[in-house]
Amino acid sequence: MKKYRIIDDLTSDVMFEAYGKTLKEVFENAASAMFTVICRVDDIKTGKKLNVEVTANDTAELMINWLQELIGLVDIESMFFSKFEIREIDNTHLKASIFGEDMEAEMGETVVKAVTYYKYKFEKTKEGYMTRVSLDI
Amino acid sequence: MKEKLEKVNEFEWRLPKSVRKEMKVDAMIIANEKILNAIEDAAVEQLTNVACLPGVISPVVGLPDMHWGYGLPMGAASAFDVNEGIISAGLCGFDINCGINLIKTNLSCIEVKKRQKELVNELFTKIPVGVGGKGKLRLSADQLDEVLSRGVDWAIDNGYATKADKAATEEGGMMAGADPSKVSDMAKKRGAPQLGTLGAGNHFIEVQKVTDIIDKDAATRWGLEKKNQTMIMLHCGSRGLGHQVASDYLKIQEQAVKKYGIWLPDKQLACAPANSDEGQDFFAAMQAAVNFSFTNRAVMTKWIREVFEKVFGRTWEEMGMDTLYAIAHNIVKLEEFKIDGKKRKLYVHRKGATRSYPGKPVIIAGSMGTSSYLLQGTENALIKTFGSSAHGAGRAMSRHAAIKKFWGGKIKDELSSRGIETKSPNPKSLAEEAPLAYKDVEAVVDSVHGADISTKVARFEPVGVIKG
Repeated sequence: MKKYRIIDDLTSDVMFEAYGKTLKEVFENAASAMFTVICRVDDIKTGKKLNVEVTANDTAELMINWLQELIGLVDIESMFFSKFEIREIDNTHLKASIFGEDMEAEMGETVVKAVTYYKYKFEKTKEGYMTRVSLDI
Repeated sequence: MKEKLEKVNEFEWRLPKSVRKEMKVDAMIIANEKILNAIEDAAVEQLTNVACLPGVISPVVGLPDMHWGYGLPMGAASAFDVNEGIISAGLCGFDINCGINLIKTNLSCIEVKKRQKELVNELFTKIPVGVGGKGKLRLSADQLDEVLSRGVDWAIDNGYATKADKAATEEGGMMAGADPSKVSDMAKKRGAPQLGTLGAGNHFIEVQKVTDIIDKDAATRWGLEKKNQTMIMLHCGSRGLGHQVASDYLKIQEQAVKKYGIWLPDKQLACAPANSDEGQDFFAAMQAAVNFSFTNRAVMTKWIREVFEKVFGRTWEEMGMDTLYAIAHNIVKLEEFKIDGKKRKLYVHRKGATRSYPGKPVIIAGSMGTSSYLLQGTENALIKTFGSSAHGAGRAMSRHAAIKKFWGGKIKDELSSRGIETKSPNPKSLAEEAPLAYKDVEAVVDSVHGADISTKVARFEPVGVIKG
């Protein structure tokens, strides 16, 4: 199963779809997709670990809150992240460990300002789950 | 939707409210024919969405740099009644008070050209640039609250700005209604390490030369004396702090939309009644983000001055490096206009739009490598566009599409062959800001000049570009 793909949309800055057989997978893959926009993920080491906890009213909102939390942590911790492990997840709550390193200017790609609701989707599919997300950059 | 536009004159197009039953007022677009052809139909449709909102005042304005944005196009202005209307995080944009500082010098571009590479390198080294550019200041929680409350006044007290800088900043660099307690902890944590950082995207520092002086009187009044005079343009915003304030209040106002039973044609136009807590809290938090951004640009202005001092061996005062003007692009303000002969205070939402007040400077930045303009605000802007004008060239292509189409290294070489020195942490950021990814700035400026919502004063061309 493909983890994610970047979609060409006429007007959106960056749109991607992420997939997963389980909730855990789709959340991890969506984070990986977003960080391909933010930094050179393949070159980011995974030596530093942070624990993250996110809540929401439902799963669709949980995805938005999760990605928004990660954008915030880039600024707060001055770090880029390249590995995401969801440790616990249900429809309204998740606990994750995220791995990365202190940011260096040459490792950066662009600033993601926000996760938006433009054409946003979070769906259960035959294979598991799919989410579609547009980023304001 | 574009086919329904009615031509008012060569530079103004009306979309009457009759084109859609939910529209309460007309929409209007300022554009010459060339630029109108470049505007996406989806962006025009977005103007009609805003024309459906409660308490909206006629007309919803599309400016010639307008392009599709989340909820509302970038390059638009809309105004709302203080009682019946709304205040909207969605109509302000994610980068609150993204804006421009224009700094003068008395150096000729011939002198600057001799040290061009050194100057660009020094600016790039001194000012944190790009998504990975780490800030050099570390503010305590109390200091950050002071920045949020006092804006450029904080910068003056801490040696980053002068009273003259303040006088040359929209709102005097400080919106008095700012309330740091309405800004979330997450937003403050993001902002604390980022004061004095440029960021990425379309943010830049450009060293420019004056190529034409069109309005001598205004130019003289603002200290522009001759062709080839060197200017500096600094474009950036409120960084993660402002992005977080916008995201936080979009969520709060989404709930408010349900609570107050507001019908929305697009979920991204989240808003709240102007006099509700959800409306006023956003207004107070947004003003805090506005103050942060004015301060951010003031801090970087000081560092730009220091770089010039190092490279040219004179004090910044000797080089006449005063702020000509500092303006905001993404902002909500309570301003007074004459509507049907009566003075009324309105909540004006400018998203990718510049204030255009009679006799005050208006700055329109071109795309990277193309010209930029200084203009003067007009009385007609107060009548036609709620005192607003264009802010830039306006994208014609998404950033992702530009990265796929252009290669940063080639763009750097092309600009270099035209005598423009560029520096960026990542070649991709040069590609996403490729000149061809934008509309023609000359056509944008001709449109606002033709519609008399701001008039040309001087034209600039880049000599050096630092791109985030």
